[in-house]
Amino acid sequence: MNKKFAKIHFDPYLFFSLFFLTTFGLFFLYSASNADISIVVKQLIYIILGFVLMISVSQADPDLFRRTSMLFIIFSFFLLGVTFLFGPEINGAQRWVRVGSFSFQSSELLKLALPIFLANFLFDKKLPIQSKEIITTLSIIFVSFLLVARQPDLGTGLIVALSGLFVLFLSGLSWSFISGALVILVISSPLIWNSLLQPFQQQRIATLFNPESDPFGAGWNITQSKIAVGSGGIFGKGFGEGSQTQLNFLPETKTDFIFSVIGEEFGFLGVFLLLSIYFFILMRCLYLALSARDRFCRLVIGGLSLTFAANLIINLCMVVGLIPVVGMPLPFISRGGSSLISLFFAFGIITSMGTHKKFLPQ
Amino acid sequence: MIFEERQVEKNNFSSRAIFLFTLVAISFLAVLFQVFSLQVSSYSSYEIAALNNKNYSIPVQPLRGEIFDRKGNVIIRNEQTFDLITKPNLIDDPELFLNLIRPVIYLSALEEAQYLEKFTEKAFVNKELVLKKSLTAEEIARFNVRSFGFKNAFIDKRHRRMSDYPQIFSHVLGYTSRADNQYDSSVGIPLNHWVDAELTYANGLIQGKTGLEETYNQHLLGKYGKRIYEINSRGRLVKTLKYYPPEKGLDLMTNLDIQAQMSAAKALGDRKGAVVAIDLFSGGINVLFSAPNYSTNKLSNGMSVKEFENLIQDPDKPFFNRALQGRYPPASTIKPAIGMFGLTNKLVGWDDEIDDPGFFTLPENGRIYRGWKKGGHSNVDLKKALMVSSNTYFFKLAYQADMKELASYFSLLGFGDRVCSDCFDEDQAFLPTPEWKYKNFNVPWFTGDTVNIGVGQGYLIATPMQLANYISIVANKGKVLSPSIVQVDSKILKTEENNEISLSSLDWAKMHDALTSVIEGDYGTARSIKSLKNFQVAGKSGTAELVSLDSKEAYLEVRDTELLRDHSIIIAFGPMPNPQYAVSVVIENGESGGSVAGPVAIEVLKSLLNE
Repeated sequence: MNKKFAKIHFDPYLFFSLFFLTTFGLFFLYSASNADISIVVKQLIYIILGFVLMISVSQADPDLFRRTSMLFIIFSFFLLGVTFLFGPEINGAQRWVRVGSFSFQSSELLKLALPIFLANFLFDKKLPIQSKEIITTLSIIFVSFLLVARQPDLGTGLIVALSGLFVLFLSGLSWSFISGALVILVISSPLIWNSLLQPFQQQRIATLFNPESDPFGAGWNITQSKIAVGSGGIFGKGFGEGSQTQLNFLPETKTDFIFSVIGEEFGFLGVFLLLSIYFFILMRCLYLALSARDRFCRLVIGGLSLTFAANLIINLCMVVGLIPVVGMPLPFISRGGSSLISLFFAFGIITSMGTHKKFLPQ
Repeated sequence: MIFEERQVEKNNFSSRAIFLFTLVAISFLAVLFQVFSLQVSSYSSYEIAALNNKNYSIPVQPLRGEIFDRKGNVIIRNEQTFDLITKPNLIDDPELFLNLIRPVIYLSALEEAQYLEKFTEKAFVNKELVLKKSLTAEEIARFNVRSFGFKNAFIDKRHRRMSDYPQIFSHVLGYTSRADNQYDSSVGIPLNHWVDAELTYANGLIQGKTGLEETYNQHLLGKYGKRIYEINSRGRLVKTLKYYPPEKGLDLMTNLDIQAQMSAAKALGDRKGAVVAIDLFSGGINVLFSAPNYSTNKLSNGMSVKEFENLIQDPDKPFFNRALQGRYPPASTIKPAIGMFGLTNKLVGWDDEIDDPGFFTLPENGRIYRGWKKGGHSNVDLKKALMVSSNTYFFKLAYQADMKELASYFSLLGFGDRVCSDCFDEDQAFLPTPEWKYKNFNVPWFTGDTVNIGVGQGYLIATPMQLANYISIVANKGKVLSPSIVQVDSKILKTEENNEISLSSLDWAKMHDALTSVIEGDYGTARSIKSLKNFQVAGKSGTAELVSLDSKEAYLEVRDTELLRDHSIIIAFGPMPNPQYAVSVVIENGESGGSVAGPVAIEVLKSLLNE
């Protein structure tokens, strides 16, 4: 029995913390959707599917992901292309691929494929990494970023880019190169502001610094979110009792601003508990990365978990008014199948990489 | 890779991973710090912001106080009916709407016309509009069955300001109309017609515009209540959170007397004029009547534009309050005052006699001032002069007077001043003085001017209110009252300390005796009204000339034009010898004072004395 169980690749820390997180998430979603049980049931189905997917993916040997990484990224690019050509336009953006009645946000896949592909590309390179490899890596990252950002989906585009940059950094990019790149970025930032950012994106950034300047326009979301969180106090207004949420003053409660719902109804204590769970998951990922069996696994775990962290932090900072509004769901809690499935997929890969050990000579 | 190289790589990875995860941890702390500052440090301001978002408070209109007469009978009340109320902003085509509602509720042609007339404006300001008031039980039932088809109409209780005596009290009560700006501490915002409020009156937020409704608006108004709703982000009302009921305004207890006011109206008939009666003990105004008048019920509760224009353009000026604003020469009714002035300044005594040949010749230039009786009254003393209304006597007395002193004496009697403490828009008329004349006409004051004033003609002008006040001082033997409509002990009104007109009690007794003889004496100018009552009345009649003429023949020509006929005036008090009420009556173009205005005064006194 023990022997048999041992063959199942399973990380109890990740599994149970994700279990608690998604269970709480269902309650939050129930409240955020004004007690719409059908949304919760749909989400629950995705969560169950997600756990099944995670456990299944965990069983695969890391080598499988390494060998298929090229196929994986090509498939992701292919889906992005399909989206570009055939995807329906929703709110002025093409982000979805539809297969029958099932639609999927194609950029979600690239968030997984890109770090794995780059890990495979970089894991056997000698330290320090050569310029040729750096340039190749950066080009791939840049192409991925452009493909997503032009949907347009700047937020996801940046996450995709970050997922690649994390791997590049972890694989040993030299500090001198990093500092050089940073200097160039700072110098060219006015250029980016003027030529790359759309007017609505410029306004979002401007609004951040002075949301009261336009409380009913661009500042509405930030203002209402801060009111929701702030009025929650230490203990919150109680489950289903948040006036900002229930009377629809808070926008996008089921997706981007669900954290504000939690802040309003469960207060600082609720927020603290939630952040603790997230932090515990990330620490566990760090532990798995540090103890992984080889460099490829380390890079993949590091890349995926840091992408997850970036995703989370961007959402948190946005809803509490620390950064401009960017469309970014709260991982594992916001409504949405694509995001859930890809997150569980990622944690399946992390579990696989963290639990498969090769006994190498010490 | 060889082992050492692997170890270097692993260390390198570890330090970089720890570096990045440290950044993650710092970000977590930043978020946690921000959440803490929102939820703990700035909690109260965000709590208020959240409440401001969801709480919507609507003022609830209070009922206005009612107005009662001195016997406790209601003069104006709040009439409650069930009305069919529509929301014009939700109705696209009012004609079509009327077609739909006609089978359910009977509408007269007038009701439909008035509805269409007001529709556009109400739709524009998003206010309700009453289509039909006083629905019958049957109509209510019929509408309720079909109410699902009428999302833009509903039935609710509404009130109206209603009086059973809308015409005779119109100038006293005044009317109400849409509120301009009312301040109510419990609401905190100025309340006007545009404010969204829970209505109690069919006409929305109203305020008094004239009369008692205006003067005592703050007392009558009451206190606004409040209903706090929870609203969602689209402004839709979710539920009532709190309800603070409004408080009805204070009732006004007035000195008015419905019976006496009705007597005044009846006695005046369709003539133009004014009647004022004052209670000699309290100074309370029992009658304040002006004719012609209008219906406050109609004016407050909506009249058609045409009806309103007719009132405005009526040459008889029904909106003009003759009792408070009509400026009339007091004519012979000023004679008691001239006599009192003469006694006070020792210009004349009760026993001094003069010869009255029927005219007075001004010594300076020989100009003739005629009396009303050809041939005069032969030997005349003060009593006889008052009784027979000798002009010559008072021309002569006035001739001896210094105009400045006379003017200040008039002022003591209330002329040239507002005498009522709570009347709406009372006119103070004016007091002629040499300075006034020079300023206005650039001509000095002539002795002749003073002589004219001796018989209440020339520049002297008074309102019926001032005449009533003046005669009440005479009746009260010099005690000056502050006439008021509202009862002084109602705590709304405060009394003022007043001067007294000093004259010896013997002089007062003789004055009362002389004025009684005007009506009760065999030769009194107003003896024709003696038989109308069975108590004694003192008074003085007057005939105010609108054109100055030298002969009776000339007047007979002028008389053909009604508007140039003399005004008939009487001031009276009774019952003698212990008078309780004073009254003044002016009838425009009524001619002879005693026989025309006299009976009106008697009717009012009888009514006040319940006779």
